Amino acid sequence: MSGRARLRVTVAGPAPLLVQLDHDHLSALDPARAGELVSVLPAGATDATLGRRAYEVVIDGWRFDVTVEPAARAELRERAARAADEHHAEARITLRAQIPGRVVRLWVQPGEAVVQGQRLLAIEAMKMENEIRAPRPGVVEDLRVELGQRVERGDELLGVS
Amino acid sequence: MAPDAGHRPIKRVLIANRGEIAVRIIRACRELGIESVAAYSDADAAAVHTLAADHRVRIGPAPPTESYLRVEAIVAAATETGAQAIHPGYGFLSERAELAEACQAAGIVFVGPTPQTLSALGDKLAARAAAARAGVPIVPGTMQPAAIGSAEEREEVVRQAERIGWPVLVKAAAGGGGRGMRRVDAAADLAGALSSAAREAAAAFGNGQVYLERFVERGRHVEVQLLGDEHGSIVALGDRDCSIQRRHQKLVEEAPAPGLTPDRRTELHALAVTVAATVGLRNAATAEFLLTPDGEFWFLEVNARLQVEHGVTELLTDIDLVHEQLRIAAGEPLSDRVLAAAAAAARPTRHAFEVRLSAEDPATDFAPAPGRIGRWRAPAGPGVRVDSGVGEGSEVSPDYDPLLAKLMVLAADRPAALARLGRALGEFEIGGVQTTLPFHRWLLHQPAFASGEDLSTDLVARLWDPASLVSRAALRAAELAAKADAERPPPSAVAGTRPPAGDDAASAWWAAGISVATERQP
Repeated sequence: MSGRARLRVTVAGPAPLLVQLDHDHLSALDPARAGELVSVLPAGATDATLGRRAYEVVIDGWRFDVTVEPAARAELRERAARAADEHHAEARITLRAQIPGRVVRLWVQPGEAVVQGQRLLAIEAMKMENEIRAPRPGVVEDLRVELGQRVERGDELLGVS
Repeated sequence: MAPDAGHRPIKRVLIANRGEIAVRIIRACRELGIESVAAYSDADAAAVHTLAADHRVRIGPAPPTESYLRVEAIVAAATETGAQAIHPGYGFLSERAELAEACQAAGIVFVGPTPQTLSALGDKLAARAAAARAGVPIVPGTMQPAAIGSAEEREEVVRQAERIGWPVLVKAAAGGGGRGMRRVDAAADLAGALSSAAREAAAAFGNGQVYLERFVERGRHVEVQLLGDEHGSIVALGDRDCSIQRRHQKLVEEAPAPGLTPDRRTELHALAVTVAATVGLRNAATAEFLLTPDGEFWFLEVNARLQVEHGVTELLTDIDLVHEQLRIAAGEPLSDRVLAAAAAAARPTRHAFEVRLSAEDPATDFAPAPGRIGRWRAPAGPGVRVDSGVGEGSEVSPDYDPLLAKLMVLAADRPAALARLGRALGEFEIGGVQTTLPFHRWLLHQPAFASGEDLSTDLVARLWDPASLVSRAALRAAELAAKADAERPPPSAVAGTRPPAGDDAASAWWAAGISVATERQP
């Protein structure tokens, strides 16, 4: 097996996960358990200079976007990012559209104070309404969308500060 | 036999639909020697159904209201392409009397009931009234659209709900597929549920009328497949259980409905035929009933079209319902095969399941998960049927229903069919988008479902708790990605090449059957 160092693995999605795995653990790993349905596919462009590689992993139908990189590199990168970010610790949260669709409900206005879990807006996709709620208490700012507007995945909707 | 024996020969059919059902109809047309015309929106120019048809015609931009829901565009497309008939599939315009009327006016055969029947059945309030007149028991509820414009009207609706008894179900008069439906447990929530259901119904069906029904706890959803010809014959081709639902959207269907004696099946089928006869049903339709915990069949509605889950009945009866629809549309009487299948319908001898694979994330409350399909490997083998409208590289658009494919199995009895379903689900590989596959794999192992003895429409809401399943899978995904990464050639090697078969470090990985493609699928 190549690469003796520990690996940092990040799993995105509904069960976000960050783990560090070492060589011995991976060697001992059973790649195919009975009854398990697995596919591991390299995904997208890999960033060779950062040593980060992306995979699409599907386990028993659960699909994950997974990034793997040497743990040492990840720690270095994070130290640099922390230094740059130090005084923005309590920065605002930007909410982005998780699905493409249309804004069909807008319950808040810029400057409005909201409590955690409060409904902010709803995006209709595939004819179902998907509510976006405040992840924490704060004040709505930078409302980027209006009623009826179409949004793509990743578009900024609003900020809560 | 091609449907030429009737008095309206059909040589070319325009399919006013998309996705798996359009492909399904194209297949039937091809088997009957009929040419198919795919109607497609801009989003579907390269879709599977568009490419599968013999001819294709653009009907407008991606949003359904500008394409698949435009009656005049559909009829014009049929006229332009020389189609003698329009098959509407399910959803979209399939139950709109306007389309059937426009077809009549344009001299085109509508593969479905008459406009009068569609008006009587498509409007669920009218259907309830018709069933009640025919002496068929209906779910207790209101018989008029709920008015919520003024405060007095809203108070009256609350009084009606109190007479029916909480919880109540708000339903769309023009509804289908669970859209525009809300369970309401208390008076305070009623007005909000009515207006949001009305808005959803207006967006989905162009009709925002809603009404109230009693919500029956632990009820089962059973339904009867009907076929009727224009000579007055109507038959029931058997029943299905569709109790595995979430927010009134069916997830799994089976035929026959488990646990019914032949006498009870005969009774159920007769109720369905009675309702259908009252409104002069022709072509294919499904009568839906609630089976209460006390064993009563209460009529819910008739879907006057081909049903999503028609395939399980086809497997059980060996009757191709789309073939029969086209024959009936051509003016033929019900065939002897259909009559024989109907005569045997109360004593089914095999069992079939269907699971709906949708681009939805079962870990996040089945939120839509549009995207681009990467890997697509469907199961095969004995007793397996897959109806799908996508393939590798297909775009799953947020503009449309998230149903990707229907996996169906047939076996000698229910336990054998369950085993076959488990086997087939284990062969299904889908990448690129999250699907409902893990939900179905979980469901098979739930005693309430596997035994067939505790089916109810709230089973999923009560038992589905994916948090531990998905977090266990996430950890496993992390480990396997790291293992694959560690065993990948170092960056100095040619990027993206597969390790040679004899490579010691990697051979165990490859030999274990874990497929690591060199590139992500297009």
